[in-house]
Amino acid sequence: MSQPEAPKQPLQQPEPLRVGVFVCHCGLNIAGTVDVKAVAEYAKTIPDVVFVKENRYTCADPGQEEIRKAIREQKLNRVVIAACSPRMHEPTFRRTVSEAGLNPFLYEMANIREFASWCHQNDPQAATERAKDSVRMAVAKARLMMPLQTLEVPVTNKALIIGGGIAGMNAALDLAEMGFKVYMLENSQSIGGHMAALDKTFPTLDCSICIEGPKMVDCARHPNITIFAYSDLVKVDGYIGNFKVKIRKNPRYVIAERCTGCGECKDVCPIEYPNEWDMNLGTRKAISVPFDQTVPLIYAINRDYCIECFKCTDKCKDRQAIDFEQKPEEVEIDVGAIIVSTGFDVYLPYDMPLLGYGKYPNVITSMEFERLILAAGPTGGKVIRQSDGKKPHSIAFIQCVGSRDKNKYPYCSNFCCMYTLKHVVQIKEKYKEDVEVYVFYMDIRSPGKGYEEFYDRARERGANFIRGRVSRIDEDPITHNLILHSEDSNLGQPIEIEVEMVVLATAAIPKKGTADIARILNLSRDANGFFMEAHPKLKPMDAPTDGVFFAGACVSLKDIPFSVSQGSGAAARAATVISKPKWKIEPIISIVDETKCKSCGVCVDKCPYGAIRWEKGKPANIITASCHGCGTCVAECPQHAITQMHFTDAQIMAQIRSALQDKPEEKILAILCNWCSYAGADLAGISRFDYPASVRAIRVMCSGRVDKEFILEALRLGAGMVLLGACHLPYDCHYISGNYKMKARTDALKTMLIKLGMSPERFRVEYVSAAEGIRYAEVIKEIDAERKAIGKEKIEAETAKLKPVLENMLKRWKKP
Amino acid sequence: MPFKTQKHDTAQTLTLEWILQVKNYKLALDKDQCVGCQICSLACPKGAITLIKQPKVTGEATKKAKVDIDLAKCNFCGVCDLTCPYGAIKLTFNGDHSLNVVAKETFPELIRDIKIDTRNCPKECVACKEACPLGQLKITKVTFDGKPVANFEALSPSERKHVVVNIDIPKDKCPTCRACEYKCPPGVIKMRKAFEGKIAVNQAKCPPGCRDCVDVCPMTGTLTVGNGKVEVNEATCTYCGACKVVCPVPEALTLKRTKVLHTPIHSGTWNKTLERITSPADVAKELKAASGLNAKKAVAKRFSKQEEFIR
Repeated sequence: MSQPEAPKQPLQQPEPLRVGVFVCHCGLNIAGTVDVKAVAEYAKTIPDVVFVKENRYTCADPGQEEIRKAIREQKLNRVVIAACSPRMHEPTFRRTVSEAGLNPFLYEMANIREFASWCHQNDPQAATERAKDSVRMAVAKARLMMPLQTLEVPVTNKALIIGGGIAGMNAALDLAEMGFKVYMLENSQSIGGHMAALDKTFPTLDCSICIEGPKMVDCARHPNITIFAYSDLVKVDGYIGNFKVKIRKNPRYVIAERCTGCGECKDVCPIEYPNEWDMNLGTRKAISVPFDQTVPLIYAINRDYCIECFKCTDKCKDRQAIDFEQKPEEVEIDVGAIIVSTGFDVYLPYDMPLLGYGKYPNVITSMEFERLILAAGPTGGKVIRQSDGKKPHSIAFIQCVGSRDKNKYPYCSNFCCMYTLKHVVQIKEKYKEDVEVYVFYMDIRSPGKGYEEFYDRARERGANFIRGRVSRIDEDPITHNLILHSEDSNLGQPIEIEVEMVVLATAAIPKKGTADIARILNLSRDANGFFMEAHPKLKPMDAPTDGVFFAGACVSLKDIPFSVSQGSGAAARAATVISKPKWKIEPIISIVDETKCKSCGVCVDKCPYGAIRWEKGKPANIITASCHGCGTCVAECPQHAITQMHFTDAQIMAQIRSALQDKPEEKILAILCNWCSYAGADLAGISRFDYPASVRAIRVMCSGRVDKEFILEALRLGAGMVLLGACHLPYDCHYISGNYKMKARTDALKTMLIKLGMSPERFRVEYVSAAEGIRYAEVIKEIDAERKAIGKEKIEAETAKLKPVLENMLKRWKKP
Repeated sequence: MPFKTQKHDTAQTLTLEWILQVKNYKLALDKDQCVGCQICSLACPKGAITLIKQPKVTGEATKKAKVDIDLAKCNFCGVCDLTCPYGAIKLTFNGDHSLNVVAKETFPELIRDIKIDTRNCPKECVACKEACPLGQLKITKVTFDGKPVANFEALSPSERKHVVVNIDIPKDKCPTCRACEYKCPPGVIKMRKAFEGKIAVNQAKCPPGCRDCVDVCPMTGTLTVGNGKVEVNEATCTYCGACKVVCPVPEALTLKRTKVLHTPIHSGTWNKTLERITSPADVAKELKAASGLNAKKAVAKRFSKQEEFIR
């Protein structure tokens, strides 16, 4: 792989600064709370600002045109846009600025929507003050900004799809049809996912495997698709356009190329074990495929159960496909984009003893019911009770087992109502009047094409729908019938019903192994354990990591048509990357000042990506394409020889000084990492969680970037409180381990500051995820309360005491 | 009902179960019949069976080792059932004792070669019954007209003459010790041992006064104490190894099984089991014998029309 050219450290521009400030109304989103006029007027008073303009919507075409016009006419060489979060519109305005001929890295955003108007709606005056300070801080940073050149890297035009369910298969087929090479990784023996285990699909009652089977075969036959089934993801290195993926092919003890799938080995195998594909209701042989339509049709031996009689080897004498000596094999592939479609698991309610699952033989889950009613299932399509092997004459379906339950899984599992209706229709059409059906539900949720009509069909078949949660199930010890205790909330009275079988519609939960995939790919997960998308509304298929996309239920639960459309959508998103010959990388990377570097090698260990090469006696060398731009090495370098472009020490120091210009003791200085805590703070604004307006926030890419000196400088200037926001330990850090490096650094710093006489509350490290808007608001409220409790006098006294020591420590910054 | 595994341990039986919606796998160990020998633990291809030595209580006879089966490792194949010389373990599928490993010719059954010809039986003799150390052998006597004899002494001499004697040895439980054969005066019972081998006691290594092996040996007369030393009589030894399990000094008691009498088989599981029960050398011997047989068969097949020529 050729290395893109590292940018040479640009020199300060000699020309005089001409800063233009654009303040956005965002309709009433900003102007409703913040006095935009006052902010604009204030901006005019800031030194170096030569042009100020208000816009109703800066991001709209006329607003963008205003900026372009002003750059050309006013000869602006710095642009500050006071509007929404840079996480929202930074790329938009970078384009705008560069269209006007200005380097896109000469513009800065002041977040006055999420960070002022939306989160201080009850205090417009304070919000306006905060907005003014934000503009001033942005101008302070803008003064020191340097033009940067975007890097270009070559793109491997292949894709990897992790998880071969219905979403992953669609993504694979679409990409393959577009002409890209696709690798498909599946950890079970067959692709197909949950859909392959279903009997029928709602609301059309199509046979599930009959419609999915041809797609599975298409995947296997397509010349552009390579399937790695029975394999695990080991490691992913690299970055967008250039991922290096290591896959471990687990041994099947059957040579894939030689196996024809004839199944003669299975016939001679004497050993049976529970078939996980049948929810362990039936058995499979120690050498077998989980179901007849398995793709790829290659047998595998389960050595946990095999007794090594070698009868299969004897039977397969002619083809010699069986190899007991097979070892795991690691394969390395290069891809340009990755689609994650790992799907979900089904919750088994062993820990809800009142429902008797696992205790009473006739209580089953819906997925088990699905395997019972399936003609190819372990009972040949007969719904029978485990206790006596007879057909039940009454069945109760219980909805929301685990889902919509504050103590278990608070979310709605999306498809349970519909599949229960499907089961009701199926069982009613199969056994007619011979079976009485009860459905205990909270709400029937049927928003979809033909779904409500399907609900009507279920009711017309004569099922009894009872609105209420089942509190307890008892078993008759002789007949093994089940007695349900519930409340009919429509009638408002308790009811008791005896049935012969109970089917629990249990929650769908994140797939086992989601945490591992998240760690390998550096993805974040939400509070429920599902993957987090880059934006819930506008980027539902993009991961926060560039070049990684999502499809299907691994992000949020979806039924089949939605998963299929997401598969195709993710394929289109991935194609936007791999269809290009080159990909542009943000130049926000670290560079080494070779004159300052003392070749100590500290940075080499601290780089989470191993992007720094170093030989003793020679200056460190950063591999530009591998650098992800976290800035951890910058903060760690004892010689201050490393600089992170666009987040230089000088720029951040200027922001700190600007933030603490007036009444520093009343301020909370917050340094937030871009991916978690800044996003969390954005979410607090988006959710309109009100918190005190004394906070002044500075964005860095990673908490690992935060130099000790930033904290020292803030305290020297007399900041009331200092907050450092990071991603949760251990795995949330977008840059693998930046938060750990920060923790090691700040733990020592805090101890020292306390020894020097600082109140311990004044410096605080908080871990806030992108999903924890409410937590961010709570943290700020707490800190503000602590600030008031400590009191202005004490803070000032401490500052006076600390100042000489801190000044000594900050010698380097004496002359800014 | 989800897949359920169960293990019940009572005073009489140890039961392991897999309960599936449509199938039930049950492995039951009869603790009364189990002698705590090592054969099942050696035979188990999954290493699921362990023997737990019971603590010694002074003044009491040494107890046989207890067999424990690990539910997590057991795969209900039935190898233990087939190799147990005492028939103490039973595996059933849905209550049916038909083993897949037998049906698919993966594992042999032990041959308990017992021939009984009761025509020569002295009508009043019960020597074999008294000789059976496990009390398994049953003698039934019926009169010439088919009535069971309740009291032999009460019969008239002529009636006694026409009594028909039946000797019943349960073929799934008999360890083939041959004690009955030795005690039978006219040679009615003919028996071959299922396990053959060699057992020896190095009396010099025996701890003084130790009689652990004698206490646990289920056979009569195999291990005895004479002059304060343990003596061996191989005639009735079944080479089960219950003595070896409890022996406190490794070198004091040596036990080697050299041959197992079994139905013909060609299977990796059996070869490995045989290797563990006997020794690699004995496996080689058996394989050689099998290959000789195979060669003979192959030749016979090819030259079936020229039988003269082969002779």
